[in-house]
Amino acid sequence: MIEVTGLAKRFPMARQKERRAKRRDPREQQGWFQAVRDVSFECAPGEVLGLLGPNGAGKTTALRIVSTALRPDAGRAFIDGIDILAEPLQARRRIGFLSGTTGLYGRLSARENVEYFGRLHGMAPERLRRRCDALFEQLDMHEFAHKRADSLSSGMKQKCAIARTVIHEPSILILDEPTTGLDVMSAKIVLDFVASYKALRIPVILSTHHLHEVDKLCDRVCIVNHGASIFQGTVEQLRHLGGGGDLYDAFVHVIHHGA
Amino acid sequence: MWTVYAKELLELLRDRKTFVFTVLLPILAMPLIFGSLGYLSSFMFRNAQQAELTYAIFGKQHAPQLAERFAREKSLREVPLAQPEAIKAAIADERIKFALVIPPGFQDALGAHRQASIALHYNNAVALDITSKRVLAVIEQHNGALRAQALASFKLSRDQLDFALDPVRLEVRSTAGKRERIGALVGGFLPYILLMVCLMAAMYPAIDLGAGEKERGTLETLLLAPVPRGALVLAKFLVLFTVGLTSALLMVASMGLLLTLFGGALQGAMQQGVRAIGARDLAMVALMLVPTAAIFASILLALSIYAKSYKEAAGLISPLMMLIIVPIALAMLPGVELNWFWAMVPLTNVSLAMKELVKGTMDYRMFFAILLSTSVIAGVLLAWCRWWFEREQVLFRN
Repeated sequence: MIEVTGLAKRFPMARQKERRAKRRDPREQQGWFQAVRDVSFECAPGEVLGLLGPNGAGKTTALRIVSTALRPDAGRAFIDGIDILAEPLQARRRIGFLSGTTGLYGRLSARENVEYFGRLHGMAPERLRRRCDALFEQLDMHEFAHKRADSLSSGMKQKCAIARTVIHEPSILILDEPTTGLDVMSAKIVLDFVASYKALRIPVILSTHHLHEVDKLCDRVCIVNHGASIFQGTVEQLRHLGGGGDLYDAFVHVIHHGA
Repeated sequence: MWTVYAKELLELLRDRKTFVFTVLLPILAMPLIFGSLGYLSSFMFRNAQQAELTYAIFGKQHAPQLAERFAREKSLREVPLAQPEAIKAAIADERIKFALVIPPGFQDALGAHRQASIALHYNNAVALDITSKRVLAVIEQHNGALRAQALASFKLSRDQLDFALDPVRLEVRSTAGKRERIGALVGGFLPYILLMVCLMAAMYPAIDLGAGEKERGTLETLLLAPVPRGALVLAKFLVLFTVGLTSALLMVASMGLLLTLFGGALQGAMQQGVRAIGARDLAMVALMLVPTAAIFASILLALSIYAKSYKEAAGLISPLMMLIIVPIALAMLPGVELNWFWAMVPLTNVSLAMKELVKGTMDYRMFFAILLSTSVIAGVLLAWCRWWFEREQVLFRN
């Protein structure tokens, strides 16, 4: 279970930029860029929440806050009742995070990459070994487990990144545009993985630009624009807003006119 | 923290480039370069001293004895030249190295107990002026013979002649031991090389550990691991520290080994000087390297983690190299000696201390003061690096 309310985060802006791009974005003020102003959402077990929004809407920043990489200026977030601001280390143990730009250590083998993060999560050697064996079996990775990550194909790398994400048996998953830049086969590996975790009744937050992924996997949707969440509801409710059955129309409608 | 440390080291060991830079370069290349350079320069010097010099001589008939003396020199060979006007051209196209012109009346002047002179033509636009030294040596022999004659004809005793020649003679008694003089020579550039190796060895790993994590997209996941950021910084810092220090220490060790094995092959004074540098001095040089390596590691890590890519990191670090050379090179300037003023200048003091250690004239109070101040600077820099690492603007600059 994850609950996020009223997140806000601003970044200082470079001075020159400030003068040039005067007030093009309503979030700019006095040298600060209000990347996230008011984002709230929640995601229950067995649910996949689709986080949608145009580029630069503040999705990544919001997800970085939830995954404790950034500290918010305002707002609260709880993971299984743990306040992520008060106990970030505890929260991190429960989060599995994957993004489209996530990389691997090229000079380590696939298995070493996964084990490294297991150890960082403080897993005991025996538990780590069993968990690794199980994951490599499940993702069919034994063939290339001892190859250097450098020499793996993109599909193999993606499997490796997934194994790394869930090595510590997280209780929630945060996926930030996990399929961006992937070919169809690699993207499918990721989507199958999301489906399998949904079946395990683990809450998944999926930020994406691909509406067919939303259609296929998500139960509920949160749309973020200009740093604020402007729509929350089920996929059906969103479809309804568009007038017809088309998610694209509905999405564009929400961005232009609000919910 | 040790998990991160072990993993980073493992990763670096698998990288051939780093391995070559940190291990092979200091152990093999440096002694090799300096060994061959030293051998080559002494070889060239000896060659120049013994090589055959061709010369032309005019007015032989005015000073037959002197001309004969030159003719007797084995390594000098006379080349006939038509007239004195051709000297310049002949030297320019290297037919002769030098020319002597003896004026008429040379012998008469000497006969009348007056000073006589001859002209030496040669190209003195060279670093080591060996030609004039060799000509002078021949002239000096001749002078010696003439003095002996004069002694007889003036009817002066040996003591009286000495008085007439040099009423006051300066006796130079050096208080510096042989080691001190050799140390002053070697000690000047030793710290320069050691510190540069220490910095250069850690440079590539630094880029990999900081900017590399960003470029590969692994930093984000690393930050999300339940490891405090302070521990991450410390682990990465320790890796760089290990690499830099290992590299420099390996070089000290390999030079020590080289000196014990081949020290005997060095000539006279050099050998004694080298012998006198004991294990204790080398150990103290190594001790000096510890906080210095820490300073380098902190600065490199801070710059690297700020950079967005390998390229930017390399761009940030190269000016740093230039900047760090300055205080180290300062120690090589004449007149810059270790005193309490220079002992307070970071890096310069380390260089100077190493020089003093090699010379064997270290003031130990100053040694510990420098060690302490360098450690304090290293500590402050590490703390700064840690604070720097916790800044979101540094970690997520995009």
